Amino acid sequence: MSLFDTSAYTIAKKVRSGELSAVAVLDEALSHIQAIDGSPGTLDGDWLTNGELLTDDEKNKVHAFITLTAERARQQAVSIDARVKAGEPVGPLAGVPLTIKDIFCVRGIRTTAASRILANFTAPYTATAVERLEAADALTLGKVNLDEFTYGSSTESSAFKPSTRNPWDTTRVPGGSSGGSTASVAAGEASLSLGTDTAGSIRQPAAFCGVVGLKPTYGRVSRYGLIAFGSSLDCPGPVSRDVRDAALMLSAMAGEDSRDSTAARQPVPDYVAELDKGVKGMRIGLSPDYMQITFPDPQTGELVTQHLPDEIRQATLQAAEALAAQGAEIVEDIPMPNTAYGIPAYFVISRVEAASNLHRFDGVKYGYRTQSDFEDLHEMYRKTRAEGFGLQPKLRILMGMYVSAAQYSEQYYQRALRVRSMIRNDFEAAFDPDGAYRVDALLTPTTPTTAFKMADVYGDSVLMQYADQFTVPANHAGIPGISIPGGLDADGLPIGIQLLAPDFMEETLFRAGYAFEQATADAVWRKQRPQVLR
Amino acid sequence: MTDYETVIGLETHIQLNTTTKIFCGCKADSWEQPPNTNICPVCSGLPGVLPVLNEAAVRKGALLAAAMHSEIRLTSYFDRKNYFYPDLPKGYQISQYDISLGGGGFLDLPMPDGSMRRVNIAKLHLEEDAGKTKYENGVRYVDFNRCGVPLVEMVTGPDLRSADEAAQYLIRLRQLLRWLGVSEADMEKGHLRCDANVSIREMGSTVLNTKTEIKNINSIEAVRTAINTEVERQIALVEAGGRVEAWTLDWDDALKRLKKMRSKETEADYRYFREPDLLPLKLDEAWRDEVLELLPELPLARRTRFMTDYDLPEYDADILTGDRPISEYFEAAVKAYGGDPKAVSNWIMNEILRMLNDLGLAADELTITPEHLAAVIRMVDAGTINNATGKAVLAKAQTSGKSPESIVEEEGLAQVSDDSALQAVIDQVLAANPDELNSYRNGKEGLFGWFMGQVMRETRGKADPQLTRQLLAKALKGE
Repeated sequence: MSLFDTSAYTIAKKVRSGELSAVAVLDEALSHIQAIDGSPGTLDGDWLTNGELLTDDEKNKVHAFITLTAERARQQAVSIDARVKAGEPVGPLAGVPLTIKDIFCVRGIRTTAASRILANFTAPYTATAVERLEAADALTLGKVNLDEFTYGSSTESSAFKPSTRNPWDTTRVPGGSSGGSTASVAAGEASLSLGTDTAGSIRQPAAFCGVVGLKPTYGRVSRYGLIAFGSSLDCPGPVSRDVRDAALMLSAMAGEDSRDSTAARQPVPDYVAELDKGVKGMRIGLSPDYMQITFPDPQTGELVTQHLPDEIRQATLQAAEALAAQGAEIVEDIPMPNTAYGIPAYFVISRVEAASNLHRFDGVKYGYRTQSDFEDLHEMYRKTRAEGFGLQPKLRILMGMYVSAAQYSEQYYQRALRVRSMIRNDFEAAFDPDGAYRVDALLTPTTPTTAFKMADVYGDSVLMQYADQFTVPANHAGIPGISIPGGLDADGLPIGIQLLAPDFMEETLFRAGYAFEQATADAVWRKQRPQVLR
Repeated sequence: MTDYETVIGLETHIQLNTTTKIFCGCKADSWEQPPNTNICPVCSGLPGVLPVLNEAAVRKGALLAAAMHSEIRLTSYFDRKNYFYPDLPKGYQISQYDISLGGGGFLDLPMPDGSMRRVNIAKLHLEEDAGKTKYENGVRYVDFNRCGVPLVEMVTGPDLRSADEAAQYLIRLRQLLRWLGVSEADMEKGHLRCDANVSIREMGSTVLNTKTEIKNINSIEAVRTAINTEVERQIALVEAGGRVEAWTLDWDDALKRLKKMRSKETEADYRYFREPDLLPLKLDEAWRDEVLELLPELPLARRTRFMTDYDLPEYDADILTGDRPISEYFEAAVKAYGGDPKAVSNWIMNEILRMLNDLGLAADELTITPEHLAAVIRMVDAGTINNATGKAVLAKAQTSGKSPESIVEEEGLAQVSDDSALQAVIDQVLAANPDELNSYRNGKEGLFGWFMGQVMRETRGKADPQLTRQLLAKALKGE
């Protein structure tokens, strides 16, 4: 059995029936990780930055993990098998290997946020999403790499090196910030991974790694235990190899939480049961504003428009055709005029929240404290934070402090909040059942490019951020979005297509995504395997 | 020399006496607990935690807002006040900034001349308390137990005109907080904390001059002393041609001295923004009405009513509305008694308050009920017992839990008011003291009291004093 070829759904079914033992699944996963993951990310791995000093062998590994929790997973597996044997109930994710983005607290396990400042932090409590996945009997294989504090789109800003590589081409980035999550699933190390999406941090790396990634509606999954980036934007969500597995995982972890008052009380449907309802009669929209990249010129501030690579455009249109063939009605030319302002508004809002969220890392209570001498409290703060934070947190703190300062807040932060409402209005107009367009979902490319080479854009924070142009509007609006594999480009790299739906209509995304999978089941590109599995 | 007027505004922090903290399930009260033993991931600011608002804190805050005549806003927001300090574990305080639970309001202070001073409320909002920092041998220790205790911050306008008025405001506020049951309001325990903004101006002027802020004034007496000290400093400074600067001062109560903490010019920008981890605080009118129904008659209104309804002097009304239990005790006793309320007032002010003071109890914790008190007063009125016996009976009722009537009955304390029995005692006393009788009859009328005492001793105090006086006067005259 190879995890790459077996879905979480099937594993759980077989484990439940006793046909497959959870311990056997675990052994398979661990030996596969052993074979293809290479060295885990470590702080001492700094000298390996950009892979220049990596051995050729290490350069061809995935490096998804920071912390492997084989012992925890083994205890879980043994318990599941015992319960199956005794005829006792097991959960819907029984025996399914799971990785967790190392931004979620898990009791007793190191939780680093891929930052030096938390490198020695062991959480005394478990995040709600993780707690629910474990309660559903998933096997917790370990914590996987990410951009430091989730700040990035390539996983290269992790303080834990080597950073994760793209399983389809190990000279390329897996995307980010949930790069460890999508790479571990793409490489068949795990069936599922728990990621987070603040501007596209699940969907963009899912597109780059050729897996399914869902950003649920804001509040659909509890944020309790997720180390916050942009608290008003952050969404935990599933990474999986197919749509059904994402539906299965979301069902297990969604729902209200007494520890998160922003978690929605909305009942959680059985997403898997709804899957094969198909797309007949579903109105799916295409928008010209998602078929180009628009950004303000850094010098003049004027908006510059760039066309998308043709392959990405084509993949999106082909998906539309495939869905139309299944009975969906394609509605063209939906205006989403504020899409271009998503990134600038996101820059401001997320950084204000991030700077504030990072205040608690001060060397007083937990985590890193400067090892050098300090005269007073302020010097301890300064040194701790200067040494503990990497470049990305520092940039975000600087910008966040600046745009929320009393004299600038109106000009930047308050204005960005108004832009955010305008973006939300675009979606409301498109989805309005009594409006001009009445679409059930929008179909867009997930990203303007496929996976870029390692070190290509790292450090060019602006360019990296525009990788999120098509994904960030959903975070502003709070609506759900899914990225599903939609083909391969000429270099054999995965292309992601995105579906966006109204609040709490994840079901629509799953139905459309599943229908697309069915329609393209025999496509040639689906037979291709990632480089590390060839 | 110029006459100066003092202008004071007070900023108070009030700990609400909820069971749990404002954003987590830890107990709100950590009194005498060892440092950092009443904490959890939420209130100690671990990575990834989220606040969940405690409705009880909102309820108590809204009740206080109502009592301060503030508007209870149906939608208010929580914001982050960002600053670094070791006892602030998240690096920001969750507070309310521009749209807070309470809007406006005032507290009226009765002035000694009978007038009222209206003190306007500029801000009334909910927030979380920070921890405590202490220094020992050059080491800074942080205790997070207090983190997350619900607070109401209340800021007055510049409406107070003397240190005494400021003290008066705090006394009235403390009375109100306890009256409402929203805070223990014990300043020594930090339930009620106060900072004062102080400036001076020439008498008759209406400008607001540069003020200084005095921090850490944590008793009523300290408020008086600290403000007076600062006013003297400011006057001396201005008289000498100087200019008051916007300093923040720290009151050292042990040394009775003000210490400059910082210049206001360097004050931090707290970069307030909406707390994304909490939803807007939305209340509906039904909820507000429910809270308002719990709003009792306020001390000042009750004080006025006691003066008009019961014809009590202001002095009595003030004392009898000192706290809610005593005011309720008084009214219940008046009702049970049915006679002159002033008689009840006298008994409470003389006997009950002394008893409460000695026992350290509140009126609603007494064993003797208002009905018991009324019974005692009635027995005295009826001449069944005299005043002194009445007091003794009250004390016995408190310790034994028995009703005053049964104590009088069991111990045979009822007064002798039978003419012939008393006459017999008087005859006996006169016969036993011929010398004194002679002296009296020869004009030493001051001995009347001595004879009264003898009769009382013989009857063990049970003699009806009025009747005794009457019969004794006749007997002494030889009638």
